[in-house]
Amino acid sequence: MVTTTATTDKPKAPMPAGRVLILLDGSRLSLAALEAAGEIASARNADVLGIFVEETNLLRAAGYGFAREVGGSSGLARPLEAAALEARMQALAEQARRSLQQTMARRGLAQTLKLCRGRVAKEVLNLMQPEDLVVLGRVGWSGIPGTRLGSTARVLLRQAPGDVLLWAEPRPRRQNRVVVLLNHDQGANHRAVRVGAELARRSNQPLSVLIHTRPEDDQSVAEDILTYLQREGIAARVKRIPVASAGAAVRVLQEEGATQLVVSRTSNLFTDQGAEALLSELNLPITVTP
Amino acid sequence: MAVPAALTEDQIYHRCPPEKLDFETTEKLDDLELPFGQDRMLRALEFGASMAASGFNLFVLGPTGAGKHELVKRFLANHASGKPVPPDWCHLFNFLQSDKPNAIELPPGDGRTFRNDMNDLVSELKTVIPATFESEEYQSRIQELQEEVNRRQQKGLLVIQEEANANNIAMVSTPAGFSFAPMRNGEVIEPEKYETLSDEEKELVEAKVDDLQKKLQQAIQQVPRLRKEVRERIHQLNEEMVQLTLGGPIGELREKWAHVPAVVVHLDAVREDIVEHAEAFQDDENGAPAGLLNRYRVNLLVDNADTRGAPVVYEDLPNHQHLSGQIEHRARQGNLYTDFTLIRAGSLHRANGGYLILDARRILTQPLAWESLKRILFSGEIRIESLERLYGLATTVSQQPEPIPLNVKVVLLGERMLYYLLSHYDPDFLDLFKVEADFEDDLDRDNASYMLYARMIATMARASGLKVLDKAAVARVIEHASRLASDQKKLTAHDRVLKDLLAEADHWASQAGEGHIGVEQVQQAIDEREYRASRIRERSLEQIRRGVMMIATEGAQVGQVNGLSVLQIGATRFGQPTRITATARPGKGQVVDIEREAKLGGPIHSKAVMILSRFLANRYAPMGELSLSASLAFEQSYGGVEGDSASVAETCVLLSAITGVPLKQSLAVTGSMNQHGEVQAVGGVNEKIEGFFNVCAQSGGVDGQGALLPASNLEHLMLNEQVREAVREGRFSVYPLSHIDQAIELMTGMEAGVPGTDGVYPESTFNRLVADRLAEFADVSKKKDDDKANSSGGNGGDNNRDD
Repeated sequence: MVTTTATTDKPKAPMPAGRVLILLDGSRLSLAALEAAGEIASARNADVLGIFVEETNLLRAAGYGFAREVGGSSGLARPLEAAALEARMQALAEQARRSLQQTMARRGLAQTLKLCRGRVAKEVLNLMQPEDLVVLGRVGWSGIPGTRLGSTARVLLRQAPGDVLLWAEPRPRRQNRVVVLLNHDQGANHRAVRVGAELARRSNQPLSVLIHTRPEDDQSVAEDILTYLQREGIAARVKRIPVASAGAAVRVLQEEGATQLVVSRTSNLFTDQGAEALLSELNLPITVTP
Repeated sequence: MAVPAALTEDQIYHRCPPEKLDFETTEKLDDLELPFGQDRMLRALEFGASMAASGFNLFVLGPTGAGKHELVKRFLANHASGKPVPPDWCHLFNFLQSDKPNAIELPPGDGRTFRNDMNDLVSELKTVIPATFESEEYQSRIQELQEEVNRRQQKGLLVIQEEANANNIAMVSTPAGFSFAPMRNGEVIEPEKYETLSDEEKELVEAKVDDLQKKLQQAIQQVPRLRKEVRERIHQLNEEMVQLTLGGPIGELREKWAHVPAVVVHLDAVREDIVEHAEAFQDDENGAPAGLLNRYRVNLLVDNADTRGAPVVYEDLPNHQHLSGQIEHRARQGNLYTDFTLIRAGSLHRANGGYLILDARRILTQPLAWESLKRILFSGEIRIESLERLYGLATTVSQQPEPIPLNVKVVLLGERMLYYLLSHYDPDFLDLFKVEADFEDDLDRDNASYMLYARMIATMARASGLKVLDKAAVARVIEHASRLASDQKKLTAHDRVLKDLLAEADHWASQAGEGHIGVEQVQQAIDEREYRASRIRERSLEQIRRGVMMIATEGAQVGQVNGLSVLQIGATRFGQPTRITATARPGKGQVVDIEREAKLGGPIHSKAVMILSRFLANRYAPMGELSLSASLAFEQSYGGVEGDSASVAETCVLLSAITGVPLKQSLAVTGSMNQHGEVQAVGGVNEKIEGFFNVCAQSGGVDGQGALLPASNLEHLMLNEQVREAVREGRFSVYPLSHIDQAIELMTGMEAGVPGTDGVYPESTFNRLVADRLAEFADVSKKKDDDKANSSGGNGGDNNRDD
């Protein structure tokens, strides 16, 4: 969980002007993500847009007379009725609205809840601007038990025009670092470093920047980043790590004591086939920058 | 019969010959290690202490204040120092039965080390095990496990999802689970469009949905089994990790304690237990619960690390708990808790392998302590049980520690009476206490013993931090010891009395500013002691002086004599004369003991009076009838009379009453007599003579008075200085009696007379007077009987025959 000990005495970096989008589905993790979104929005003084999507597939499925709902834990089947489902969705939407209101009102933030019907990922992508940050739980209620990355998260990770924060509740650890994972030659590095710096400042945690570097690469990139961070007044260390598989990267992250991770979508981490599964193993909030 | 000569001063007091004491002061004398004259007791102690067989416990019997305790302790300490040090004993947690703590034996001194080792282990566990759980290795292995289970869980569902997709059926997530619906181009077909499909198609779809639902149900229902499996595997992992972590510390301990197999077994059990409770160590906040860790600690019950030789333990409060140990409880929020660490050793534990000294009277007065001691000695093991549990008064769950084998010598100290009562009434007693060590009350006073006694006195003075005694003082103490023993040939062995005397003499020496204790101080101590206890004696003397209590000390009187008696009040004894009177008239051969009739006489006194009446009959009317009705009384005696020491006096006074011959009141008599008129020894002669002497001194001075006592009591005389002075100056005489005739001659001044061959006493002897007088009585009686017979028709005969 992001702490509220954001320091105000430090020089403020220019804040992104975008909104904070929060995906709500009434699940436990989405409520936790809502808190995190509140924190971020409060720090950025940004508007908050809650999004609650009624999944068309689900509504349609309920329309079938033979439709059954098989319990996720018990395995018991019971009829799935359209009317009952409607009522449940409404109740969930109402709950989402209430949670959003309460969370944002506490922080004095403006908020709106957008109710829509359709495919979740598609609706979000429609609503999102490049400078926006979308916050969502890694999985919603719509998950196969044990899944660490939901289908919506999967789509947004790859397609969102702005930053995506996949929220997870990490285990408390003794080390707390914000880690930014970069490719050496990457145009989007700057955005990732900026987001990492903001996170570190907000959560009052040290920052690590890990750069995948080949031996023949220019060393100045690291120095440039360090200079930038020093100028920003952020306690940071920059490390070069060899280009390796996603599994190796995950181990490095664990060693570094990461509690929050910032990674660019263009990172070669995502070229690895099992990257998503490995990322999900980290069980920490991940911000993916375009 | 010849009148005995009066005793000389040397006969009534046995002085300590100065030449036997070869020293100036006690400073030069060596300490006496063991008392002399107590050989029987010492041999018994030696035997009892060395005898290994069971039941050979000791009972040291002797009067209180004889110094039993100190002597036994000193003796046993000496004896035990050469014996091996017994083992240490520990109670350990029993991992199989938690309410029955184990007991293990360790070589002496090892108990402490073992306890420290286990404490160190516990401290180590507190950090090492949580560190293991926090290690990256453990964390990643746990994660691997969970991932694997997740994968397996997902796999089942994904297979179904793929099957559904392949059949154009969507697996849709619902808030509580999953549902299936027909799909086209990745989207669920609208129900309205679905209706347009042909019946066959619909049938196919619905059958497939039904099939998928069943498969999904099965897959989901597998989940609990998977979860159980992961729990088991995590537990297995925990065990594995802890096992590896513990390998070091436990391995070291195992190696260190390889010489004690019980410890090794316990260490293995500890390891098993830690592994079993590995999860409890994972609590980051508080660490492992203290209760869990305490189970690995050691309760060192008996620590013989500092013991030299076999232990000698004295239990001054021998109750059940103190003897057999107890299980304490800790109060926590109003509840009582206990565990094996709260088991406390008793004195039997501490004395195990050595000697336990107990005071017999104390253990007998503690409720159930005697029974507990016997039970433990019989069973040969110490089982700690609370009294309330033993007697079924409480049934709460408590600890039942493993019994500890017992090998102890119990030494009971007590008075003789206790020993004899226990022997008589307790059938177990002689089975358990087979060795009696009997203290001598008195020591022999002979040439060899003077120096030994002097050394004993020197030892006592030194041990109590008193001043040294000079030779004369020691001699005076020795003489007083004889007086305390009431015997010229004995010395008292009564430790306490002598110590008190020395301490008091030391006090008076300090008061007088003397650097050492001289004879004056010893005498002062004796006198002061006597004075302090003299209130009642003085009161009694005053009564006599003022004539309230009538005692004559001069002149002569018929039917009246001074008997001598001893009064004991508390620790003091003193003698005083008692007037005994008699009357005699014709009668049917009976001597009335007024004391007995009034139920003031004891059985021994009655016996003595019967003896004397048979003596009279046998001596003075051997062939005829004893026609006598006599009575005997102790005048002004209201407290009861017991003993036979007045029988000589009673015989004299009765004969005086029969004959009318007056008895000298200046002489007092004591002595017992048998049926033949022989005088036998009595007790308390010193007090009796001194008592009469004091009365004489108070009423007109001592001039020609004296006392008669049995000759066999001669050796018991240790009379005080005043009496000795009067004897020296011839103002007071002490006569030894061996026969009643000597008493008669001394008391009456007449010859007693010995019967001729015809059995008749010579003329004008006292006995002749008695015989004649009794014959007169018989005549009178016969005449009376004849008259009576005549008046009643002559059927007289021998119906009034006396026997």
